[in-house]
Amino acid sequence: MLSEWRNKTVLRLKALFRRKQLDRDMEDEVAFHLSMAEQKNLENGLGPIESRHAACRQFGNCGLAKERTRDMWTFAAFESFLSDIRFGVRMLVKNPGFSLVAVFTLALGIGANAAIFSVINGVLLNPLPYKDPERIVAMRPNDSPPNLVDIQRETRSFSQGGGINVKNMDYTSGTEPMQVRGGYVNAGFLETLGVPPMLGRIISPEEDVKGGPRFVVLSYSFWQNFLSSDPQVLGKTIALSGNDYTVIGVMPPNFVPPREHADVFVSLSAAYPDEASERDLHFMHAYWRLNPGMTLAQAQAEMSAMDHRLAGLYPDSETDRRTVFLPLQESLTGSVRPALLVLFGAVGFVLLIACANFAGLLMARAVARRQELVIRTALGAGKSRLICQALTESVLLAIAGGGAGLLLARLGISLLLSLKPAALDRFNSIHLDVHVLFFVFGISLLTGVVFGTAPAWSVTNLNSAESLKDGARGSTSGQSANLLRKSLVTAEFAIALVLLVGAGLLIKGFSRLRSVSPGFNPQHVMTMHLQLPEARYAKIPRQTQFRVQVLERLNALPRAEAAMVMDLPLSPNYVDPRVVVDGGPPVAAGAEPRAQTNSVMGNYFHVMQIPIRAGREFTPMDREGQPLVAIVNEEFVKERLPHRNPIGARIDWTRAPEPQRWMTIVGVAADVKDSSLGEPADPAVYTPFSQSEQAWRRWMTLVLRTSGPVPGLVDEVKKQVWSVDSQIPVSDILSMEDVMAVSLAQQRFNLLLLALFAVLALVLAGVGIYGLMAYSVSQRTHEIGVRVAIGAQRRDVLRLVVRDGAKLALFGIVIGIAAALGLTRLMASMLFEVTPTDPVTFAAVAFLLAFVALLACYIPARRATRVDPMVALRYE
Amino acid sequence: MKEKRENPGDLLQGTLDLLIMKALARGSMHGYGVAEWIHQTSDDVLKVEEGALYPALHRLELRGLLTSQWGTSDNNRRAKFYSLTASGKKQLAQETEFWRRMSGAVTRILQTA
Repeated sequence: MLSEWRNKTVLRLKALFRRKQLDRDMEDEVAFHLSMAEQKNLENGLGPIESRHAACRQFGNCGLAKERTRDMWTFAAFESFLSDIRFGVRMLVKNPGFSLVAVFTLALGIGANAAIFSVINGVLLNPLPYKDPERIVAMRPNDSPPNLVDIQRETRSFSQGGGINVKNMDYTSGTEPMQVRGGYVNAGFLETLGVPPMLGRIISPEEDVKGGPRFVVLSYSFWQNFLSSDPQVLGKTIALSGNDYTVIGVMPPNFVPPREHADVFVSLSAAYPDEASERDLHFMHAYWRLNPGMTLAQAQAEMSAMDHRLAGLYPDSETDRRTVFLPLQESLTGSVRPALLVLFGAVGFVLLIACANFAGLLMARAVARRQELVIRTALGAGKSRLICQALTESVLLAIAGGGAGLLLARLGISLLLSLKPAALDRFNSIHLDVHVLFFVFGISLLTGVVFGTAPAWSVTNLNSAESLKDGARGSTSGQSANLLRKSLVTAEFAIALVLLVGAGLLIKGFSRLRSVSPGFNPQHVMTMHLQLPEARYAKIPRQTQFRVQVLERLNALPRAEAAMVMDLPLSPNYVDPRVVVDGGPPVAAGAEPRAQTNSVMGNYFHVMQIPIRAGREFTPMDREGQPLVAIVNEEFVKERLPHRNPIGARIDWTRAPEPQRWMTIVGVAADVKDSSLGEPADPAVYTPFSQSEQAWRRWMTLVLRTSGPVPGLVDEVKKQVWSVDSQIPVSDILSMEDVMAVSLAQQRFNLLLLALFAVLALVLAGVGIYGLMAYSVSQRTHEIGVRVAIGAQRRDVLRLVVRDGAKLALFGIVIGIAAALGLTRLMASMLFEVTPTDPVTFAAVAFLLAFVALLACYIPARRATRVDPMVALRYE
Repeated sequence: MKEKRENPGDLLQGTLDLLIMKALARGSMHGYGVAEWIHQTSDDVLKVEEGALYPALHRLELRGLLTSQWGTSDNNRRAKFYSLTASGKKQLAQETEFWRRMSGAVTRILQTA
């Protein structure tokens, strides 16, 4: 049977390409037959003309025989489908207004969906570019290199593991000093990800030791941009942060470390032997590869036991270990996942509304074409044939909509990428790919079929005799179709309300977030990042000298006041060592609370306008060799020094060696939002740069306050910095307001998108109800004419029409409120200081929608009032 | 992909197919020859309607039971010659057997008193 079918298909396909030949053959075959029959008739003694006629008579209907034969050789169903398409296209082209509105409506819905889907596809669906990425787990929190070594030695769950910490490095082998991102790794890191280098090799475990050789593995982009893709690069040396590194490998183009981009990879032990052996410096982002057959749960159980063992061995630093493993993909997308899913849900709602409008349009058109269809039915057209035709048209429209949607999606994606929050930064695979194309084609087809079926069905499901009469009377027609349209409009309003409530809640939360005082005044503050190379600035006094000189020169500039801080508020860097208070309640070793620490120089608090609540600011006298001092924030006082005068109290880092080097608190500064505007301030300790003991923290941020915009300020600052040391790169030049904006990028991204979708939904719902009311007014012209003729006033007619629309909208709004109460809980994590059921937002949105509905009904209602009864009564 | 049109000759379609295959079992032949052979061999009892013959020939060809080739007829005209394929021969044997059993059964029933 199957082979027979295949045989048929092959023959038919062949026939498809020689249709003319086939026709001629058939012609010839019949002609041959006729001539043979004619000849026989002649032999039997008939006359020549009679012979031919007899032969023809005998053959019967030549045309029918040929057509039947011909049908056999072709794909009859397929060809009727093609003719449906041709007819459909003709019908759509003949009604350009209708077609354009339908296509545009769908394009909006599908385009928005395709854009969001391509983000989801790039971020959540595409596998990470590592070997067997599902076997890789991420370790939380960060850990120290010695701990990683211990875990690697003891684990039976993992085949391999390694960590990375990305820090700025100075690249000085180029034409000007450049800051690049240096990935400080241990040997296991690249091995664990399982991506082989494109050139050369990666750092081996034997080289990843204290005093090991300074080798560097380059990223593809670094190799391309800074070394012009030199194929002979292996073995060459480049200068990074004042040291010479030998290039031993280049990674392939698509390789990115899991969390953040890095330009070069160097061994941490070779670059920073001292830090690499500190057990209590937990700064490595670590990743592990599960052994075959091991599960995450087994690994987790093993790790808990190891945590316990490490805590016993190193009580000073490892007491409260609580290591958690997460699947790599989850660890990278965990923060954006809920937001993306909410957005995807929202954009799905937009599509639903667009589809409802689409179905409404089709239905209106089908009702308008009812007479035609009824006549066709009466003439014997099969119901299934008519439905097929209607479906073909709706699918054609949907696919055109999908195509236009793709164009919109392309625009949408570039918009999305320009807004791209940092959390999506590492995902560079966001674009229209095959998956997205399939997705769009799929939803277009689905839309065309699902939302075309009801309209197609509703028109054929008619008693033709009844309909002919109905149509002839010109009364309110197609009751069932109208009911369906009304439900569609109600549903549109319900969905639009849900979206608008979502957007409203985000807007409210965002404006709350923006009005949160950061604790400093961000206006007219310029910031720039500087990093000192290790080779020439290994010791604190040398660093202090640089800092003092730079500040002196900058403060000599007119109209600018400059200071320095290690890490800016609201920027991602965050160091929080444990702090003990002299004379405080006794705390178990290793369990002391943490405090955020920051070093400053110059009048930092004054420049940032952070109020000093008690005591004083640092002065130039608080320098090396002088008594150690610190300024704490109010939160620190509240948590650690309750009921005490903080001024004069003494504190210290717990990891400082005995004897304690107590720092005396000389001032209390107001709280500053350090990690994010949405979170309360943590306890914080500020110390002077010049009294720092941590020579490895060689980076700093300049902050400059001006009274207003100062043109050329940045160039002037660079000049002054380079007059002190011409080899120092000046990077991350941002105003403080930019820094704040960057910290809000994720929220702004969510907000803008959801608001955009909500506006789309609002417009589509408005257009939907307008379309319905306009249509119903035109259908009821006769009735309205009668009403006016028997004395209805202008406002009676207005009320009649508006009431109809308002009922639908109100019904939709009520349903929408119920749905929104259930759904907004899903976005609780995206909201700041707003409950998901915020009554003000709900009320405002309901009023907005009601207003739009009234407006949309008012326009057709006004048209209804202008109905001239004489004309209306003659209508039809 | 069901054929929509009900064919008036449908009732005898199986029979016609069988007769065509039988005619071609003797060697390749053109459509006119098949019709003539059936007509003569049945002693002018069976008259194949040409309007049904050609669709039947093409249907059998599509099913892979026949193949065709263009050649020259006795009177030097271009004509399409059909011949039985291997699976056509098998099909002919099966249908012949089936026909025998059917007609025997029908005959037995008709012979009862």
